[in-house]
Amino acid sequence: MNALWQSVLGEIELSVSHATFTTWYKNTELISQDEEELVISVPNIFAKKQFEVKFNDQVKKVLAKNGVEPKRITYTIIVAGKKTRINRETTLNNNDNVSQLLASQPSTSPLTLGRPTSGLSVTGNLNPRYTFDNFIVGSSNDLAYTASQAVAANPGMKYNPLYFYGGVGLGKTHLMQAVGNEIIKNNPNAKVLYVSSETFVNEFLDYIRFKKKGFSDKYRNIDVLIVDDMQFIANKEKTQEEFFHTFNFLHQNNKQIIISSDKPPRSIPTLTERLRSRFEMGMSIDVQMPDFETRCAILSAKASLSGVELNTETVEYLATNIKTNIRELEGALNQLLAYAELHNIEPDITTAEGLLGNVRHSRPQHLTSKQIIDRTAKHFQLATEEMCSEKRDKHIVIPRQIAMYLLRSELHLSFPKIAGELGRKDHTTAIHSVEKIEKAIKLDFVIREQVASIREKLYA
Amino acid sequence: MELTITQENFARALSAVGRVASSKTGLPILSNILLRTDNNRLLVAATNLEVATTQYIGAKIAKSGAITVPARLISEFVSSLPKDSIDLKVVNNNIHISSGKFKSIINGVIADEFPELPTINEESSISYTINTDDFKQAVSQTIITASSDSTRPVLTGVYWHSHEGQLYLAATDGYRLSERRLVETKSEVSAIIPVQSLQEVLRTIVEDSDTVDILFDETQVRFRINEAEIISRLVDGNFPDYRQLIPAKSDISATVNKQEFVRVTKIAGLFARESGGSVTLTVDADTKSVSLHSIASEYGENTSELSAEATGSGQVTLNSRYLAEALSVIEGDTLEFSFTGKLSPCILKSVVKDVNYYHVIMPLKS
Repeated sequence: MNALWQSVLGEIELSVSHATFTTWYKNTELISQDEEELVISVPNIFAKKQFEVKFNDQVKKVLAKNGVEPKRITYTIIVAGKKTRINRETTLNNNDNVSQLLASQPSTSPLTLGRPTSGLSVTGNLNPRYTFDNFIVGSSNDLAYTASQAVAANPGMKYNPLYFYGGVGLGKTHLMQAVGNEIIKNNPNAKVLYVSSETFVNEFLDYIRFKKKGFSDKYRNIDVLIVDDMQFIANKEKTQEEFFHTFNFLHQNNKQIIISSDKPPRSIPTLTERLRSRFEMGMSIDVQMPDFETRCAILSAKASLSGVELNTETVEYLATNIKTNIRELEGALNQLLAYAELHNIEPDITTAEGLLGNVRHSRPQHLTSKQIIDRTAKHFQLATEEMCSEKRDKHIVIPRQIAMYLLRSELHLSFPKIAGELGRKDHTTAIHSVEKIEKAIKLDFVIREQVASIREKLYA
Repeated sequence: MELTITQENFARALSAVGRVASSKTGLPILSNILLRTDNNRLLVAATNLEVATTQYIGAKIAKSGAITVPARLISEFVSSLPKDSIDLKVVNNNIHISSGKFKSIINGVIADEFPELPTINEESSISYTINTDDFKQAVSQTIITASSDSTRPVLTGVYWHSHEGQLYLAATDGYRLSERRLVETKSEVSAIIPVQSLQEVLRTIVEDSDTVDILFDETQVRFRINEAEIISRLVDGNFPDYRQLIPAKSDISATVNKQEFVRVTKIAGLFARESGGSVTLTVDADTKSVSLHSIASEYGENTSELSAEATGSGQVTLNSRYLAEALSVIEGDTLEFSFTGKLSPCILKSVVKDVNYYHVIMPLKS
């Protein structure tokens, strides 16, 4: 019976607009069927009338195609999900529970006034500012962007869980919230819950300590769960266990889960094995520092949002000088715009140079080649002397090549100079090393991570 | 479609139905208004699939037909026109509107796209005719205690039901409850009408309407006021058996002058910013007084007193906003409030012979 109605709906869906289909045909069901009569349930009086007057012919036609020709079709009103709702209301009718209907209010927080104290209501707490439209895509994040869009289009079906990792201020939160906002836009009834892992931990603690109800209801009665900064639950075993159950429950019910963290699952040492394997079963994507072009695009977009057009020179200057993360990039831009407005001058490169002096005070003014080599050596727990020695053990060669790559990419040293810095005579060694690492960054995850991490330390 | 109507009638009808037309739903056509000739009248209608409102206005019809037009644009255009007659003419799904020197062409959408308006079978339905003033008062008295929490749908409406030969209205949000007796009834009724639909009916009531005709069937309700009709779905589910929550007897009660009580409540509310806007009411039978105390640790505190006829002595802490709202809908010059203990319901009612309205507020845990 259901299969028949499914195929009728499938056919009708193709012939009417999406809005029409979701408004009218969704939440309809075939209730009973015999030779005389076919009974179809519709959600409300409006749908009933609409079906009786406008859609009846079409439904009849499609039914006939499927070999069913009842003498008449009756439409009856049954509210979707009525079963569960009736259960809830009948429990309300029990004497014990009616007395709980009128509840004394806790007097602690004025915010909870007039709201149920159970914490059952899922507030989206998504920031509507974060959308796909204002996310700027570059080579460093296009994979993350595409995967997010796929998830937003088919929540729970593709890439579940979706796991983002990367350094601070690179747009993970933006992407995750954009997915949530997009899902809500497509389906206003979808329950999307965005929490930081800290909120999850705190609510879990409240749940244990005060026997607060509604914890599992809150987290299990949703369609999309977005958890930001997952690494913070890493050393909390009980919470991990609870999260594990929540995760399983949602995943089994095809609910979408989106997680962000600063490291890939396998690099969080205290994450329990069963959570780690689950995080890895969907899609893990690293969000990287945007490249120069993307940084320029971000700056131009942000500036024009504030109603200012920056010239290319200024944009490039800012993009060249701030490489750590987007938040800092925005900060510098805001500082520049505010300064220019305050003093009523053009936000041009001269102003930017004057100001960026400030921004850059917080970090080494000039990186030296020695710093790069020392940092790299330290990262791999080698002595600087070893790095610069003749040794060609594998555990020394790769760090050495990375150091050369960094000297080239950060300081733009010439190849002979690079070779010299690391105690090589032949500059072709340097050329080879730089090329090798450039290639490896694209292919090898481990190398990419290590380079990013050293670079982060250099500018920290 | 071709017809002539007056600007006043058309503008009034458009503004009455226009509020319901919304672009929030997924179906774009719902932000349009339906115009359709009906004998010698023009039907103006809009719906959001929860409620449908229609207005009939007299018109000189030259050619019958129907069209839908964007609600906002046509409402704003027609209301800006001078008081004069307006000619409407539909040509190729566009509506040509002209009045004196003003001419516009608004792109419409064919009326076939518009949802079919629900109808109600008058024979098989239960009907009431209610005096407009009573209707307005009863609805305003109950609507304020309905819940806005969509996780408990049955509480988001007003429960119209028969009980011992009377028609009652009741609503609760879990913290307060109101019940109003409306008219005698011989039929059995049990229907939860969404708050939004009732608000729409209240807005539709104009000065010259004397009665409201109400028609219930299993799944819908229709209100008719003069030439206007509002059809709404009913909320599905069973309203909780609230009667057992209203205590039959209270130990402590006080009868006060309403005007004075409103004043002290308002003053106490100013200082009630702490602890959920709470005010503490103290009834003292010995001094025949009621005092209200509220405290805002950052700003200061307030104590006001008023004379009362009191039985028993005790204290109860209420939300000042709930108290003020209750006072705003209770009729009469004197009112009585009664309670038993700190955590039991507090009942407010007017002191008259035949009390038809009860308002119950749950105290705050202090």
